[in-house]
Amino acid sequence: MATPVISVERVTKRFAGHTAVRELSLTVPTGGIFGLLGPNGAGKTTTIRMLLSILMPDEGRVVLLGQQASGRQLSERIGYLPEERGLYPKMKVLDHLAFLGEAKGLSRWDARKRARSWLERLGLGDWVMKRVSDLSKGMQQKVQFAGALQHEPELVILDEPFGGLDPVNSQMMRDVVVDVARSGRTVLFSTHIMEHAEKMCDRIVIIARGQKVVDGTLAEVKQEGGKSHVALSFTRNAQAAREVLADRSLVQSVDDAGASAEVQLAAGADGERLLRALVAADVGLARFEVIEPSLHSIFIAKVGSDGARPEARPEVA
Amino acid sequence: MNKILAVIRREFIERVRTKSFLIGTFLVPVMMGTFAYLPQMLAKRETGARTIIVLNGSNGSAGDRVASALSGARIGAGVQAKPRFVVRRIEAAGRTEAVRDSIVSLIGLREGPLDAPDGLLVLTEEAVSSGKLAYLGSNVTSFRDMNALERTLEPVLREERLHRQGVDQSVVEAASVRLDLKATKVTQGKVTGQSAEDSFWLAYIINLMMYMTLLLYGIQVMTAVIEEKSNRIVEVLISSLTPFQLLLGKVIGVGAVGLVQLSIWGGAGFYVTTVLGRQSGPAEIAAEGTAPSFSLPQISMELVTVVLVFFVLGFFLYSALYAAIGAMCNSQQEAQQANTPVTMVIALGMISMFALINEPSGTLARVLSFIPFFAPIVVPVRFAIAPLPALEVALSVLSMIVGILLVIWLAARIYRVGILSYGKKPSLGELWRWIRTA
Repeated sequence: MATPVISVERVTKRFAGHTAVRELSLTVPTGGIFGLLGPNGAGKTTTIRMLLSILMPDEGRVVLLGQQASGRQLSERIGYLPEERGLYPKMKVLDHLAFLGEAKGLSRWDARKRARSWLERLGLGDWVMKRVSDLSKGMQQKVQFAGALQHEPELVILDEPFGGLDPVNSQMMRDVVVDVARSGRTVLFSTHIMEHAEKMCDRIVIIARGQKVVDGTLAEVKQEGGKSHVALSFTRNAQAAREVLADRSLVQSVDDAGASAEVQLAAGADGERLLRALVAADVGLARFEVIEPSLHSIFIAKVGSDGARPEARPEVA
Repeated sequence: MNKILAVIRREFIERVRTKSFLIGTFLVPVMMGTFAYLPQMLAKRETGARTIIVLNGSNGSAGDRVASALSGARIGAGVQAKPRFVVRRIEAAGRTEAVRDSIVSLIGLREGPLDAPDGLLVLTEEAVSSGKLAYLGSNVTSFRDMNALERTLEPVLREERLHRQGVDQSVVEAASVRLDLKATKVTQGKVTGQSAEDSFWLAYIINLMMYMTLLLYGIQVMTAVIEEKSNRIVEVLISSLTPFQLLLGKVIGVGAVGLVQLSIWGGAGFYVTTVLGRQSGPAEIAAEGTAPSFSLPQISMELVTVVLVFFVLGFFLYSALYAAIGAMCNSQQEAQQANTPVTMVIALGMISMFALINEPSGTLARVLSFIPFFAPIVVPVRFAIAPLPALEVALSVLSMIVGILLVIWLAARIYRVGILSYGKKPSLGELWRWIRTA
């Protein structure tokens, strides 16, 4: 196997009062899109900060790009978009993006050239000489995004990259991320929105309470869930359907979305029995399909309802 | 290194481009010019002579002496001198009170006779002997007029009293010569031609300048740190630069802006005090027209070097402290409270000048020169009063460098942890943990 682009070995990070990350190991192979999933407060941001040597692990070690060097020493080869991100509001857009490029080691001239071309590419060509504070929030996010990518890093780390974006901009960013991965580079992004991960990731890791609970390719993770899931959507008599789904001899768990639901069948039950019961209860069905579990239901099953912790923001101390 | 340069350049250019920098940089010299011209303008505004009625109820020559002394008082010196008072004398022996009351009704009338009096001086026998004179006038709030009256009348009445005791007129005149102490600064055995006032003004200006610039630019560093923290750009930056590199770039960038501004102010100040200053003087309260004109003190190359070196050293020391405070706080309001101790220390340095001016080489002055927090203000001020031995300056610089290294070491540790910490301001205990664990 080729040298992994990220290798995290039994890393632990404690803050005053709690352990944010506990003996976490993960390996990110070169190329493709890697999803770091978990509920709020699971330790995603702390893990990412340790990758970039913004924080130092208390135990264990991180190897990036196969080098014995810190994330900061390798920062020319890494692009980073933090979850908590901002810009200098009074700077001109071009100056700002060029400054971010220079901070990544580009020469002044090169940084300005690349900044200009990225702004064109993201549809901000008319805004280069405007102040950052004149941009809309979505436009500012594009500038930040460009800041993480313009120096063509081998490894791109994005912490909750699609948060707060409207569907058009979100799609645009996703296209860019897919482009980056297609060019042979590696993208790691964290999210708690499973739909994004399901559509984009080749591999995922789910962490909860600072520990890893799922690790593998998307296909492996889904296969492990088996074909015991049924996707349903109702046209009539949803209340009656709910009573059927409450039968624990038939159904182990329900992810109820109102007009539709995804259920995990109980051990020993099968899809046919469930279908008969629903028809007998006079439920109108628009969809009844035995499926692989969605990432969402795997996530809920693995993380559980106590997976989300209130102390969401990692504090450095 | 290129990364630090990028930070320095950003800090410098973004600051120099702001309106407040341009206004501050060019408005201050305009204000300096105004202050240099203001006394001249005010002096020109001064109206002509005051009309004073001397109501004489005394015996002997007191009335003559007072009237002639007032008539002889001049505004300005030389050929341009103008009479300060127009004197009318009214003899009213024995009925001063009645005459006084009738004259008072005329004082300060604008639409009365053209020569309505500005004031009335009541000279009685008792006043001559006790020295307690009554003056009733429309101009009693004029510090200048009252001062002039007092200084004119005081020797005259003394002469009258001596005369009445039988002292010969020539003896009185010989004894009444006024003291005029002319102090000249001697620097390392050489007479500089610089007067005591010049030395004081120079020390005072340097004191104020150091205080203002250290405070102003220190707080700018603090504000910049809070800005980066609160708009959350800091995390992107410290994934590429070490916190120390970021801090260093910021401090050097802001410091360079300070040096540029100081140079512009210094150049303008030099121009104003040399070219314009020689033509006028600061408001001279003394009533006599012989006030010495304010001249620019001699500024030696050594003094300029000392001022610049200690500005740079002081700036590094204080900006590191201010950066640490900025990193501890979440908002400007919070920082305004937190920076009070540091601001007080700078202010103490400034206030200490008034102790130094009397004894620039005393024990206090020497001790303060070796305390890094006070040295940036104390040493240039002392140097302006009287140059210090090179060894003493060198030792002070050395103590500052040691102090700076210590402070930067501490500040960088606080900064490193603080810039990523949001929420409550750390307690002293937490701060200590930051320093230890960073």
